Amino acid sequence: MCPSALLSVERLSKRFGAFAALDGLSLELAPGEILGLVGPNGSGKTTAINVISGVYTADSGTIRLEGRPVGNLPIHRRTRLGINRTFQVPKPFKALTVAENLEVAAVHSNAGREDIARHLDLLDLSPLADRQALTLNSAQQKRLDLARAMITRPRLLLVDELGAGLNPAELTRMAQMLQEIARSGVALLVVEHLLGFLRVLTSRVVVMDAGREIFEGSLEAAAKDSRVIDVFFGH
Amino acid sequence: MIAYTLSAGLLFGLYFSLAALGLNLVFGVMRLINLAHGDFLMLGAFLAYGLYTVAGLNPLYAIPAEVVVFMFAGVILYYAVVPRLLASHNPEMLSFILLFGLSQIIEALAVIAFGNDERAIPSTIYGSRPVSLFGQTFPVAWVVSAAVSALALLAVYLYLHHSRLGYATRAVMASRDEAAGTGINVHRVSAIALGVGLALAATAGAFSAFMLGSIGPDMGIHITTVSFAVIVIGSLGNPLGTVLGGLVYGLGLMFMETYHPSWADLLPFVLLIVILLIRPSGLLGQRVRLA
Repeated sequence: MCPSALLSVERLSKRFGAFAALDGLSLELAPGEILGLVGPNGSGKTTAINVISGVYTADSGTIRLEGRPVGNLPIHRRTRLGINRTFQVPKPFKALTVAENLEVAAVHSNAGREDIARHLDLLDLSPLADRQALTLNSAQQKRLDLARAMITRPRLLLVDELGAGLNPAELTRMAQMLQEIARSGVALLVVEHLLGFLRVLTSRVVVMDAGREIFEGSLEAAAKDSRVIDVFFGH
Repeated sequence: MIAYTLSAGLLFGLYFSLAALGLNLVFGVMRLINLAHGDFLMLGAFLAYGLYTVAGLNPLYAIPAEVVVFMFAGVILYYAVVPRLLASHNPEMLSFILLFGLSQIIEALAVIAFGNDERAIPSTIYGSRPVSLFGQTFPVAWVVSAAVSALALLAVYLYLHHSRLGYATRAVMASRDEAAGTGINVHRVSAIALGVGLALAATAGAFSAFMLGSIGPDMGIHITTVSFAVIVIGSLGNPLGTVLGGLVYGLGLMFMETYHPSWADLLPFVLLIVILLIRPSGLLGQRVRLA
């Protein structure tokens, strides 16, 4: 394990019945780093995020945050330690306003009104602060999902297909927001199908297939790797 | 006559709002219908009655004891039952069976402990002079019950909308998983909500001898039915909708008692059917679009 790693995942496995969703996945992430996690559908990317964030408990393997094992902690304890996530389908508290969504998330991070205002600004949500989350469109709900995760002061943010469904202008703006978050020292593990979007964010990716890592390196190198080509185009 | 009916409906509406509020709070947080809700109200009624007969204590002063005892009972009940229930494959059906069983056990134990006789606390404990309200006169006990109910409803509003715990509670109502994702200890918040729910029921129980005429071990099922009607009328899972539901029920009850008393017992069922036919989400319910 690299001593400077913020997140260290070792030989993580998770089965659903006979299906091995994760099969010995290992990866590391340093503070402020953006790591892309790519692979075909069913390769285990979202399961990896679900296990690291605590939605599922791993069958075996370890998850450490700054060397501290967190794999057996419930979701809220992991959140308080600095692990948070966004969802492929955003899940804001729909009955609450945008501002109230952030106020709820601020309960345990002790974020104040200035922090909430700053994050509303950072994610272009200030004009929508008093709107009920139910009335937001998909792109706005994704930004709210991200803002709500950020207000808990994460050190590791797990980002699940944030680019899906966004138009080119929204993708560019979202990439700028994620880069700004990473520059503040937050490590990002980004699951993404849109490789153009991912290329803007990072040069380092882990490619998964059948719950395992099959490649780690740059996106350009991945595009030339025979195992990656086989997984994406060879079946 | 109409002015009296409307005024009395308002007083009883506030009382039934309080009686049902705990049931809706618990449903909102846990998505479980507490079929033993009315039995906890009955226990609250007997605790107040016991304090009155043993120590001559005014039910008003029994409320702090009710709140402490039933908050504690709610937290214990939550940790003993609910996490395992929610982790089961069919929590809704299992909760129906389990809470119905709990209701029956509480009623049976109450019969053993208190007997089957109906009991009452004389409303003259608050004085024998009636109170004038909107030009009509009412027993002081009715007005005190309604005033305490209004204060309790206000306290729940402040708890839900102006406290950190309230924000957390509303987040859990919206989504348990998402709430956990913001760092909220969902089980702790839910246990407190069940405690608050039972404490509200018990507080309503303290005044049930005045508002329902008498108390007995078998009153629980009737209260649960009325409370369920009230929260469906207002909006299931929306505690503040309960106030509207309570007022509709209270006014309806008083009109029935005034003009067709022999039909009054049908009211909760009629309102339940009507509201489910014309607006299943309740008067304050929202149609939520699921993405």
